[in-house]
Amino acid sequence: MQIKINNKSYDCNPDETILSVCKKNGIRVPTLCTHPDLLPSEGACRMCLVETNQAKCLVSSCTTKVCEGLEVITESEKTNKARTINLELLWADHAGKCAKCKRNGNCELQRLAKEFNIDEFRFVPRRGEPALPDEIDLIKDNWSHVVVDEENPSISRDSEYCIECRRCVKVCRDIQTVEAYGFNHRSSKSNVGTPYEKPLDCIFCGQCSMVCPTAAITEKDDTEKLEQALADPKKMVIAQTAPSTRFTFSEEFGQNPGTFWEKQLVATLKELGCDKVFDTVLGADLTIMEEANELIERIKKGGPFPMFTSCCPSWVLYIEKYYPEFIPNLSTCKSPQQMLSSLIKTYYAEKEKFDPENIVNLSIMPCTSKKYEAQRKEMDASGQKDTDIVLTVRELARLVRERKILPSYLKEKKYDPALGISTGAGVLFAASGGVMEAALRTAVERITGQELAKLDFEIVRGEAGIRCAGIDIDGLNLKVAVVHEIRNAKKILEEIKQGKSEYHFVEVMACPNGCIGGGGQPLPADQEIRNARIKGVLSRDKGMSLRKSHDNPVIKKLYKEFLEKPGSEKAEKLLHTKYTNRKK
Amino acid sequence: MILLKIISKRFMQILTKNWDKIDPFHIDTYARSGGYEALRKVIREMTPESVVKEIKISGLQGRGGAGCPTALKWESAAKTKAQDKYFICNLDESEPGVYKDRTIAEKSPHQIIEGMIIGAYAIGAKKGFIYINGHYEKSAEILTVAIKQALEKEFLGKGIMGSSFDFEIEIFRGSGAYICGEETALINTIEGKRGEPRLKPPYPVNSGLFGKPTVVNNTETLVNIPFIISRGAKIFSGIGMKNSPGTKLFLLEGAVKSKGIFEAPLGTSVQELIYNSIYGGGLEEGKEFWFAQIGGASGRLMTAGNLDQLLVYGPAEYPLGCGSILVVDKSMDLKDFLVSWSGFFHRESCGKCVPCREGTFRLHEIAKRIRNNDLLPDDQERLEDILWTLGNTTFCPLGNFAATAWKDAIRIFGDKIFKAA
Repeated sequence: MQIKINNKSYDCNPDETILSVCKKNGIRVPTLCTHPDLLPSEGACRMCLVETNQAKCLVSSCTTKVCEGLEVITESEKTNKARTINLELLWADHAGKCAKCKRNGNCELQRLAKEFNIDEFRFVPRRGEPALPDEIDLIKDNWSHVVVDEENPSISRDSEYCIECRRCVKVCRDIQTVEAYGFNHRSSKSNVGTPYEKPLDCIFCGQCSMVCPTAAITEKDDTEKLEQALADPKKMVIAQTAPSTRFTFSEEFGQNPGTFWEKQLVATLKELGCDKVFDTVLGADLTIMEEANELIERIKKGGPFPMFTSCCPSWVLYIEKYYPEFIPNLSTCKSPQQMLSSLIKTYYAEKEKFDPENIVNLSIMPCTSKKYEAQRKEMDASGQKDTDIVLTVRELARLVRERKILPSYLKEKKYDPALGISTGAGVLFAASGGVMEAALRTAVERITGQELAKLDFEIVRGEAGIRCAGIDIDGLNLKVAVVHEIRNAKKILEEIKQGKSEYHFVEVMACPNGCIGGGGQPLPADQEIRNARIKGVLSRDKGMSLRKSHDNPVIKKLYKEFLEKPGSEKAEKLLHTKYTNRKK
Repeated sequence: MILLKIISKRFMQILTKNWDKIDPFHIDTYARSGGYEALRKVIREMTPESVVKEIKISGLQGRGGAGCPTALKWESAAKTKAQDKYFICNLDESEPGVYKDRTIAEKSPHQIIEGMIIGAYAIGAKKGFIYINGHYEKSAEILTVAIKQALEKEFLGKGIMGSSFDFEIEIFRGSGAYICGEETALINTIEGKRGEPRLKPPYPVNSGLFGKPTVVNNTETLVNIPFIISRGAKIFSGIGMKNSPGTKLFLLEGAVKSKGIFEAPLGTSVQELIYNSIYGGGLEEGKEFWFAQIGGASGRLMTAGNLDQLLVYGPAEYPLGCGSILVVDKSMDLKDFLVSWSGFFHRESCGKCVPCREGTFRLHEIAKRIRNNDLLPDDQERLEDILWTLGNTTFCPLGNFAATAWKDAIRIFGDKIFKAA
């Protein structure tokens, strides 16, 4: 089928919308409520209006399907007028505090306002600071109901910035199935919010902050905590960086998605004033040692199966809140962040003779949920809070910009070797399927006692939401599955409940494509960008000399000097955890 | 000839035939005046297809306001092969000052129920809802009693009148939002969702309540059905206008002498409705006609020069809407009207799309400034932009409705509005 857009013919499928045809062919149509990761828009923002030969009035291109003989004009006086007026109305409803805003310079509304030359209020702003003193009276009447929610450790919400585009509602409902958000009130008072406007109580995956076009939903800002720690001469700030951050930090500074910036990241953290920079990848290697051991133990004992990975705090929280009956199936291993943090405050502090009380553990994470994880009560194996400050990549970049540091001009630096040697297996944690592949590399070698001929388990890689494989290990057919996004995890859980699937080991990551699509990663993100990041991860693994966790010399040393062996009493105390039934 | 016309009008009672003649709490009084005869005819003699055909011949149009041919909805829903289908009677009347559906429910509830059963039979629905405005407590009570009595008499329930046709009716009480009178928003609220319109297509007749084919008919539409079946489609289509057959309930309000609900054939002029002694009987003593608003808060304004316009469904310069005629005399202040209209739509916008959510808010803001005589220098220009975007870019017609009366007011009385009093 062919349609005409701006007097040129384009091929299309009968079930496509005008907007998707435009997008495919590089014709830009502005929109605020459509997002490539989400289900088709319901036409709420009215920005993508176009003229067609089928209807007298303007139609929203995101909802209108193509038809035979369709002719579309995407830019005309009429569409421009509609977009300008609607944008102006939205702008007047918006906080308009751009200079101080977290999303300044990376805000979809701001970008459109600039494009459509909306630089002054023709309407009295309903929110934000009064423009003129004599407008104060008018504003009082206009003040609409603003909801600010800072109650949870991960996500901060401020409806002053909200433009009611509904992306967060959709991502939470359709991708994560948590349905934390909905609409409250109606007409001009309508607000995205939680039921009865209670504080947000979800799995804190932060995907809502990934799709929010403005700063209405953002990561909770902890940069000030870090500034305080850095300014305190008594404190020793020890940073660690998550596997995926070295592939995404670069995006914040204009590099192409997937650009590998490990040494720049370390240099930046040192420049900020961190005393030591360690690598969470080492924590990942440690997780593999413990998790592989746990899997082998379960195979020996015969269950309980399937064993679920526990690296993703959102996934753990999801089980605790919605499927507590599966708590025994969760691996008891802590996440790499928590393993490394507790080791820093015990092993490393002992070795270097530091008082653990003066150590501030800072972790740079792709994830809003890690902020929550760090706050969990049981995460105090070292006798105090193991991880003190968690910053997402976005927060770190913001701080770096504020400090006027230019990472690309810094002299590259390496991780501090004490806890800074890593393997390709740990790097793989960055993407969905990575934990599984890393665990298999160690578990298979440990079970068979032979070296693997081929390290790449391509079978667990890929984009599909659920990827299953059977792996033959000395006659044992190990059934594994790799899952990302909670909607897919829910499917697997239901299948297991009904006895339809019998897996031994299942990896689950709450975010699309795993941590690489995490809720604290740079914006914007879509499938294409995430694929580029994954490519970076895989090629880094390929290029590393050490590619198996158990080959990591620091890991070997750790077990020799401190932890004895995987699953030892000490390891159990420092590296494993318990879960709580949080179902309501 | 004139005399004949008046007589024929007087005899043309379809909708109000039973009013005050039957006891709404007793099904027998309705049955005695010919009630449930049409249903008997349908069950005994007619196939669902022939019922749809009969309605098609009658040319009955939806009385909710849009005037969509009723048979069109029924036919599409009847054609779908789904196992479950729903039939909904829309009694969520929320247009300011309109109470025709409520009066029907209170004076002749069984007529609604009979119409629904016949409709359900035609499309093959087993379950029906009466979606009633939450404020209509008395009507809901009357309808509950009526449904109970119809069940006892086996007009409802399993095996209606000895046939194999089952149908049950549930009363669903809405919460009184204006937008929930829109069929997809109405369906959303029955499903427990937020009351806001859905994207069309798919239309409810293909995928409506819980994704099943659903017909939503206005109450006034349904009370025509028993008449059409028992008296024949030909007789019905002979009443009123060729393209707009049947009678309609008109509500006369404002400065007319006799206010209330009047049944008149479609195609009656506004002039006649206001001045004819069998309807409005002219204006109240000492009042001078200024303009009339046709069809509720979303209706257009009609000045004296246009009073000869005939009120019909289909493309018309002055859409008939729900049939209310608000007569405004010269003692009224237009600015009060402006604030009242904008206030209503501002309150009732669902908040889904930007132009309606923000536009109605801004419209109301400017209306208040107009009333207080403190217009800002750019307000006229802003107002034009808002009305334009409401009229051209909103998701559902509510935005359009909000702008209609305002546009007319500015066109006709622009000087008065923008000149400080």
